[in-house]
Amino acid sequence: MNLIWKLLRRHISLPQFAGFFFANLLGMLIVLLSPQFYRDIKPIFSEEDGIIRPDYLILSKRISTLNAIGLSTVNTFSEEEMEDLASQPFAKRVGAFTSSRYKVSCSMGIDGIAQFGTEMFFESVPDAFVDVDLQKWHFSEGDDFVPIILPKTYLAIYNFGFAQSQNLPKLSEGIVGMVEMTITMRGNGLNECIKGRVIGFSTRINTILAPEGFIRWSNTRYAPDEATEPSRIILEVSNPADDSIVNYINEKGYEMEDDKLDAGRMTFFLRLVSGIVMLIGLLISLLSFYILMLSIYLLVEKNTEKIQTLLLIGYSPEKVAMPYQLLTIGMNAAVLLLAIGGLVLVRSFYMKQIWSVFPQMYDGSILPVIALGIMLFVMVSILNAVIIRRRINSIWNNKG
Amino acid sequence: MDSIRLDNTLPNVFLARTDIQSDIWRRDVTLEKGMTYLIEAQSGTGKSSLCSFIIGYRKDYDGRILFDDKDSRRYKNNEWTDLRRCHVSLLFQELRLFPELTAMENIEIKNSLTQFKTRKEIERWMEALGIADKMQSPVRLLSFGQQQRVAMIRALVQPFDFLLADEPVSHLDEINSKVMADIMMEEARRQGAGIVITSIGKHMNLPYDKTLCL
Repeated sequence: MNLIWKLLRRHISLPQFAGFFFANLLGMLIVLLSPQFYRDIKPIFSEEDGIIRPDYLILSKRISTLNAIGLSTVNTFSEEEMEDLASQPFAKRVGAFTSSRYKVSCSMGIDGIAQFGTEMFFESVPDAFVDVDLQKWHFSEGDDFVPIILPKTYLAIYNFGFAQSQNLPKLSEGIVGMVEMTITMRGNGLNECIKGRVIGFSTRINTILAPEGFIRWSNTRYAPDEATEPSRIILEVSNPADDSIVNYINEKGYEMEDDKLDAGRMTFFLRLVSGIVMLIGLLISLLSFYILMLSIYLLVEKNTEKIQTLLLIGYSPEKVAMPYQLLTIGMNAAVLLLAIGGLVLVRSFYMKQIWSVFPQMYDGSILPVIALGIMLFVMVSILNAVIIRRRINSIWNNKG
Repeated sequence: MDSIRLDNTLPNVFLARTDIQSDIWRRDVTLEKGMTYLIEAQSGTGKSSLCSFIIGYRKDYDGRILFDDKDSRRYKNNEWTDLRRCHVSLLFQELRLFPELTAMENIEIKNSLTQFKTRKEIERWMEALGIADKMQSPVRLLSFGQQQRVAMIRALVQPFDFLLADEPVSHLDEINSKVMADIMMEEARRQGAGIVITSIGKHMNLPYDKTLCL
C-alpha cells in the first residue's frame, strides 16, 4: 500500500486540493449552519404554547371609539350570542372569560420585604381550556396559594425594556416561577392577602389567568353584587383552518386574537432565508465536489500509464482505486470534522447573543445537524469512491 | 492453468491481409505448461500484440484465445487479475518499470501482492545479475540493460504457469544473458511452468522445445 501510494501520489496538485478543501469546508459549514440556525431561532418565533392549545380561538368584540367614550352598545357577549356560537358546527366547546371585579394589587419581594408592587386584575377561563396539570391549576376555598399564568409578553417587556434600561438582571421563566407574590384583594369591606406564584407563561392569552374556582370564590367574596357579561370568550374548534369560522366571525363583527400570525410570518421568512442560505452552501459544496473530481481526474490522467502497469502486473482495480478513494474520503472527513468544529464555534457565539435577549431559550441539540453532516459525508464519499472506481475501470478497459 | 490455445487468432490490423505466413496467426496452436517456446518474429508481425492479447491488455483480435478451454473473452475483471497475479507473468518489452521507485521497490511492489519471494531471494538474484549495488537507486538512473534485469526479477516474483518474455535480452551482453536465462529456467522448472520467449534476432540460449515463427 505504501509503495502504491508513493507511486500514485505523484502529480497531486496541492493548490487544487487546498482549493477543494477550503471551498468544501465553506460549503459544508454553510450547509450545516443554516439548518442549525433555523432550529435555534425558530422557537423564538413559533414557541409552542403549552398552556392554550392551537385549536382554541379567543374571540372578542371590536372596540370602537364610541365604545371607548361609553356611547355605544356593549362589547360583551350575551347569553344568546354564546349559545349561537356553541351551536355552530365548527365549535366544540365555548367558554367565557370571567374577570375579577374587585381591586387587586400584587407585590413581590425577597425575604418578605416588598420590592415591587402593582395594581392588577385577574381573569379566568373554564379550567378545561387550560392545558396544565390540574394538580397545579387548582384553587378551592381555604387554600392560601393561587397559581397564576402570565402572558409571555409581560416577561418580554420586563427583560427587554425594563431590565435592560435599569441594568437589572434578566429573568427566565424558571426564575419568575420561583418568586412568590403577595396578592392583596380589596372589596366588600374586606382587605385580605393571599400568596401567588406564576406557574406558566402563555403567548396566546393576553391576560393574567387564575383558576376558575379562585375567580368564582373571590368575586363572591369581594364583589358579591356585581355580575357582568364576558367581553372575551374562548372557543375550541375541530379545525382552526376551517373557512366557516372566519366567515362567521366576520359576519358577527367579532375579532379573533391571532397573535400567531406575525410569528407565523416571521417563521416563514426565517425558513425561506435559511433555505436560500443552505442552497448557497449546497451549491458551494457541489462546486467544490466538482473541483475535487476534476483534480482526481487530472491526477488519474497524469498517472494513467502507472495505473495501467499496476493493473497489468496483477493489481486489481479496487486496489488501485483505493489510495485515491482513501484520499478523498479522508479529505471529506477532515472537512466534516472542521465544519462541525466551526459550527460549534459560530453557534456558541450567536447563542450567547440570543441568550442575552431570551434567557429562557431552551438550548437545542446540534445532533440532528451533525447527523445531516454525516449523511452528506457518506453520500459524497460513496459518490467519490464510485466515480474514482469507474475511472480506474475505464483505464482497465483500455478506454483511458 | 495448463494450456494457452490460440485458435485462429489474428490481430484486427492484419484482417485485410491475405498473405499471412505464420505458425501462429490463423492457426490452432496450443502452448503447454512445462514446455519452452521461442517465437521468432520480424518487426511489425504482431509479437507484442500477441503478448498483450494473452495478458488481456488488448482485445483487438479476431479468433479465440483459450486458457484451459475457457474463452478469454469471457474472463471477468477478477479472473484477469488472478491470471496476472498467479498464472501468467509477462516481461514487457518496454519493461514498464516505475521510474520514481528504486530497483528494489519496483520488485517489491509486485512481490507484495503474493509475498512469493523473500527479500533474501530477491537480493540473491540481484547479486547474480550484477545489480545489487543499484538496489536502492531510482530505476530511472539505471541503464536500459540494468532496467531489463530489474524487470526480469519483477516478472519472476510471482507464481506462474507461463512466463512470457518479450525480447528479454535485447540490451544484455552474453554473460548477463546467460545468467538471466539460467535464473529463468531454474525458476520456471521449479514452478513447472511454460516459457514463451519472443525475439526478433538475438535470443536467449535456452533448451527450446519448439520454435514458432510469427
